[in-house]
Amino acid sequence: MMGSAAARRADGNLRLGMAVFLGTWVMLFAALFLAYAVVRIQAAAWPPPSLLRLPRALPGLATLILVASSLTLRARLALPRRLAMAMALGALFVVLQASVWRTALTAGLTPGSGTYASVFFALTIFHALHVACGLVLLMVVAVRAGTGRIGPNSSALWLATAFWDFVTVVWAVIYGAVFWL
Amino acid sequence: MTATASAPASPDAPDAPDAPDDEIHPAPTGVWQRLVFSRDHKTIAKQFLFLGLTFLAVGGFMAMLIRWQLASPGRPVPLVGKVLFGPSGGVISPAAYAALFTMHGTIMIFFAITPILIGAFGNFCIPLLIGARDMAFPTLNMLSFWTMFASTATLTASFFVPLGAAQAGWTGYPTLSTAIGTPGPGQTMWIIAIYLNGASSIMGAVNYITTIVRMRAPGMGYFRMPLTVWGFWLTAVLNALFVPVLAAGMVLLFFDRVLGTTFFIAGSTIKGGGDPILYQHLFWIFGHPEVYILILPAWGIVSDLLAFFARKPAYGYRVTVWSMIAITALSAVVYGHHMFVTGMSPMLGESFMLLTMIISVPAVLLFLNWLGTIWRGAMRTRTPMLFCLGLVFTFGLGGLTGLFLADIVSDIYLHDTYFVVGHFHLIMAAAVLLATFAAIYYWFPKMFGRMMNEPLGKLHFWLTIVTLNLVFGGQLLIGYAGMQRRLYNPSVYEFLRPLLPLNRGISHAAFLLGAAQLIFVVNFFWSLFRGPVAAANPWQVGTLEWTTSSPPPHHNFDRIPTVLHGPHELSHPRTVKRLHRDWLAQNEPLPADEGDPPAPATGQRDGSR
Repeated sequence: MMGSAAARRADGNLRLGMAVFLGTWVMLFAALFLAYAVVRIQAAAWPPPSLLRLPRALPGLATLILVASSLTLRARLALPRRLAMAMALGALFVVLQASVWRTALTAGLTPGSGTYASVFFALTIFHALHVACGLVLLMVVAVRAGTGRIGPNSSALWLATAFWDFVTVVWAVIYGAVFWL
Repeated sequence: MTATASAPASPDAPDAPDAPDDEIHPAPTGVWQRLVFSRDHKTIAKQFLFLGLTFLAVGGFMAMLIRWQLASPGRPVPLVGKVLFGPSGGVISPAAYAALFTMHGTIMIFFAITPILIGAFGNFCIPLLIGARDMAFPTLNMLSFWTMFASTATLTASFFVPLGAAQAGWTGYPTLSTAIGTPGPGQTMWIIAIYLNGASSIMGAVNYITTIVRMRAPGMGYFRMPLTVWGFWLTAVLNALFVPVLAAGMVLLFFDRVLGTTFFIAGSTIKGGGDPILYQHLFWIFGHPEVYILILPAWGIVSDLLAFFARKPAYGYRVTVWSMIAITALSAVVYGHHMFVTGMSPMLGESFMLLTMIISVPAVLLFLNWLGTIWRGAMRTRTPMLFCLGLVFTFGLGGLTGLFLADIVSDIYLHDTYFVVGHFHLIMAAAVLLATFAAIYYWFPKMFGRMMNEPLGKLHFWLTIVTLNLVFGGQLLIGYAGMQRRLYNPSVYEFLRPLLPLNRGISHAAFLLGAAQLIFVVNFFWSLFRGPVAAANPWQVGTLEWTTSSPPPHHNFDRIPTVLHGPHELSHPRTVKRLHRDWLAQNEPLPADEGDPPAPATGQRDGSR
């Protein structure tokens, strides 16, 4: 396609651009965590005694699944299969999240039941939207890999992997900060 | 046709005959790719320009309506009143007034200045001024514009929903902006519009940062970049860092309104409510850098243009650059001065006050450098130069009034008065707007290949500079007299009733200011179609965009230029003696004197001089 010098330049551009993009996402989630910290400092009790304590086991399993999904992208498998497995694990994560939300709602923990619930719902829903975006990104890469248009060294794959890793890391932080802390 | 146009760049593309010694997407052939879904930074710049100018007109019209209400409270608006405010008999209702000042602020900041200055001129200038063929990510660039377009569509639609557009002020403070304060869908659509607008800005920032770091022409060291590029670069850095914080605030506000979370709704101790002040923190962590996001490009442009039209190198190029960098860094740690009256701890307040005051040091250095640049210059008072000089004046005035707001003691009195409005407008609506006009008059020939009309431009300038100082100076006065902002009808307060004549005077000046902009509109469109054809370098300056044709070809430069010196190589005695002109292009070797050793062609360390 391009001369190798031009391709290298384009690849370097992509890496810097993605680094800046991820930096903006770090700022976005950092601001959300700041909001969490501010409302939590002001709360009399955390969690409020009358409310359901958030489950830890199921979200823990979800964390492992998301980490596994990130690792799968690096497995020694054919590219389309690798992507398919990562996407399946990502989808499973969303299903587990939905079941956690369902448990909370049926136990009376709704977004309106104070800041404890607000933090839980806002952070998990906003993160789940990013997982959904990541899945779309992986899907695009998978379709292009399936038709043989991109190989295992393509920048598109690197880009999707970087985003997916970011989503995984953010989830790990949310799991620790919201469900355990 | 369409298929080939969207295919990845190929060096053998027949459309770009001389281009391909570097990566460039081929010139599109279909109308849609060329004019609508274009990936060419020059076309995207024009799209941003037209979008921004449209909303500048809308936001300006809203300002006229606000001034009408303040001059003659409760009287029906002439001409357009029946159409816009039919149910209330042509009178601006309190709710409509709240929507007007909210949308005026929102539109001017996010949908007029941002797209024109950053979207249009950032896009147009960065590749051309650093000697690149396009942005690093042309497709992302296109996406940035269309995200902005979706944002404006959402905002426009919000005028037509039940209960009307957002009414919580451009800052969108809770509890005004919660579902309790503004129950209609308009406020929710405002949140979505701001979020999309931020997404567009971030995409732009990623592109600008990457392009400037990685795609400068050979020899274009950082300290040989035009100051315009420095301005856009620092703006992009601030955008990337702080727009996400605003986005986080919007996400939580959205959840509060739509899902019923309580981040910004104070509750009882038992229910564990949230904190409305938290929103103010998130908003101003973004909001203060935002002021610099908007003014840094203006500073950069003015620092360059003053040199070009005074025919002298910019005075203290490096000091200007380091001042802008220092202000960029400081802008991140001063936001608390917007919140002195929220009951913040006095120690924190004093820290913010001190940090804010420190900003005046680099700001004054910048200002003195401008004066040094024009000092004893061979001034060419063309229209862009007039607008730059106007900026120097209004920025000085706006900066000085800022000191009173940075100081806690005077701010507690002046907070939320028209003094703040006057100060803010002197910086944003005067300084930034004047730089925007300077940029339009200056780069119009390069963008559209035609010159704008000089006499009309000068008339536009003089009417604008006089009236806007009357308007914003008047606002300082009535604010100092104690009139709060956002009042629907100030004359219901006895102590504000004597201000009515002054308010009328301000409004009349504002109507003149509005009318003066029609001269610009006429000039713009007349010049677009009928203006005299521009030469490649009508202003006789040496930055790289003027070394290519007007307008530039799709690939900008037939050959990527090799840069030999800084952007302001003006009036060098040797150039004047040898070439009989006072400017030298950045990629043009300085003519050697007899007996001189041959100049090193690739030294990057000699900066601008």
